[in-house]
Amino acid sequence: MADLALPAALATPAWLNPVSNAGQLPLPEALHRALNSAAHRERWKYTKAEAFLGATHAAANLPLINGARQPGIEVKQTAAPTPLVGFDLEQAPEAFARLCYASNILTIDVSAPTTEPLTLAHAANTVPILIRVAQHASLTLNEISDCGSDAQQTTWIDLAANAELRHSRNSLDTAGAHWQYLNVRLQRDSSYRLHNHVTGCRSRRQDVHIIMDGQGAEANLMSAGSVEGKSALDQQFTLEHRQPRGRSQQTIHNIVANGGKCTFNGRIHIHEGAAGTDAQLANKNLGMGEHATINSKPELEIYTDDVRCAHGATVGTISQDALFYLLSRGIDQNAAQALLSQGFLRQCIDGPLAESALETLIGGAFVDL
Amino acid sequence: MSLLDVSDLHASVVTDDQTQPILKGLNLAVAAGEVHAIMGPNGSGKSTLANVLSGRPGYQVDNGAATLDGTGLLELEPYERAQLGVFLAFPYPVEIPGVSNMEFLKASIDSLARARGDAQPNTAQFIRQVRELASSLDLDPAFLKRGVNEGFSGGEKKRNEIMQLLLLDPKLAVLDETDSGLDIDALKVVAAGVNRFRNASNGVVLITHYQRLLDYIVPDFVHVLSNGRIIESGDKNLALELEAKGYAWLT
Repeated sequence: MADLALPAALATPAWLNPVSNAGQLPLPEALHRALNSAAHRERWKYTKAEAFLGATHAAANLPLINGARQPGIEVKQTAAPTPLVGFDLEQAPEAFARLCYASNILTIDVSAPTTEPLTLAHAANTVPILIRVAQHASLTLNEISDCGSDAQQTTWIDLAANAELRHSRNSLDTAGAHWQYLNVRLQRDSSYRLHNHVTGCRSRRQDVHIIMDGQGAEANLMSAGSVEGKSALDQQFTLEHRQPRGRSQQTIHNIVANGGKCTFNGRIHIHEGAAGTDAQLANKNLGMGEHATINSKPELEIYTDDVRCAHGATVGTISQDALFYLLSRGIDQNAAQALLSQGFLRQCIDGPLAESALETLIGGAFVDL
Repeated sequence: MSLLDVSDLHASVVTDDQTQPILKGLNLAVAAGEVHAIMGPNGSGKSTLANVLSGRPGYQVDNGAATLDGTGLLELEPYERAQLGVFLAFPYPVEIPGVSNMEFLKASIDSLARARGDAQPNTAQFIRQVRELASSLDLDPAFLKRGVNEGFSGGEKKRNEIMQLLLLDPKLAVLDETDSGLDIDALKVVAAGVNRFRNASNGVVLITHYQRLLDYIVPDFVHVLSNGRIIESGDKNLALELEAKGYAWLT
């Protein structure tokens, strides 16, 4: 296998050296090593990394922004990105490269509790985004991808102590090769909630890296996905508990039907000293029709005692008991299967973007009875 | 012609490694307006009868027939039997997260209406009717928005079955251990629901282990099922006798 290589030469940005633990190596070499490590190969086992890496250098626009003109929000373009503390080059060398290639990034600073949602619409490649929510500030963030061709988004979010972010993300388009990288750092007692609604496209890749970096932080991730026909979805979720008493809950439901290919990797890493952590992850996959491919791998690394951690992955078909219950009430086979598969996804659809997600993923919201 | 006619029914439970004959020549005729209680020791075939009549997978009919108003049931798909008027109240109703009770009930009533060529009920009226039914069975109408049976207690699940019985108004109700796991108050609510359902044109097959339920739902006939056949039939006094003596004197 040929080595993975960056698409263009990269100058080491000035901000890197003081913060990077890879500072011993020149940046291009450090990236090259990370790109060709065993861990990286494992993360990109089911989706070819080349095309995504090659596009990290492509031109990028600003997303369409709505809701920025309200008290407590400041949006600006900055030339030099400020990296997050704790950001890991090894974990996401592509995202790192994209950050370095960008001549501008979009910085969103939230300094107070906000009332209106901030909406970002991505129609193509968008510039790297950095969102910082200050102490006791709060934000509802909606992200909508409507990309017709290849696209990349890389987003870093930093939540200060007691900050709160409710994040909804709909990626329901028919993009070509679509990569979404999301890194969230939670400081003390901050809280983050993600409603992720997604379909497969030619090749959709979602990397989510959550870092519980303060005591008592709370993260709740819900994801509903539908991968039908000749489409693919690859989700790589990493959740690190670095500090005590964090709580995290991840629920990911995917339906894979008629030739679709779906990969989910959920890694929970509980660091030494993160006592009192409560981490839950459930990934359920429902195979329908013919030739669905489902790869699901839960991973646990626990380096501290006194934690609660539950981790489950299932791949199955519709429950025969549930199906019979519906049939016995006169509902025919097709309608009963549709109800059950819709119910399976609906458990993970919520938040401000739920309506269009219901529309696309399960063919419409049932009349609110 | 009876409402339900079961004649010489032989049926087996099919598992991965074996086929086990359970019903061995069962005959039962339920006329409109009648309630038939079926009692019998564990393993005698009571639940198998309920499951075979409703078409649950995992059972195989080896011989015999069952008709509802003269139409053969055993060849039909489960949903076709329901559309024809068969209702099974489950001993252990399943939980279906993500599908709300109301949505499920609407899907059911719409399917039945479509199959019978009736107009679909007006949604607002339907919702009002279901809420009223729920209240009349001491079920919090807030449950209707939750997933089907999701997080319901045992008693709530049973009352939900009875609510469906009253809403769907089948010709034949097969109640499989609807009294099991109920406290005395819930038992009375469930029994009152079944009595509300009873009328001159429908029939009830009541499968139970305990005579107590029959104090509240008075049957026209009591049958004792043993080793896959009905070995004794009588009126409600037979249940009292069984309560006093156990099954041993019959089997």
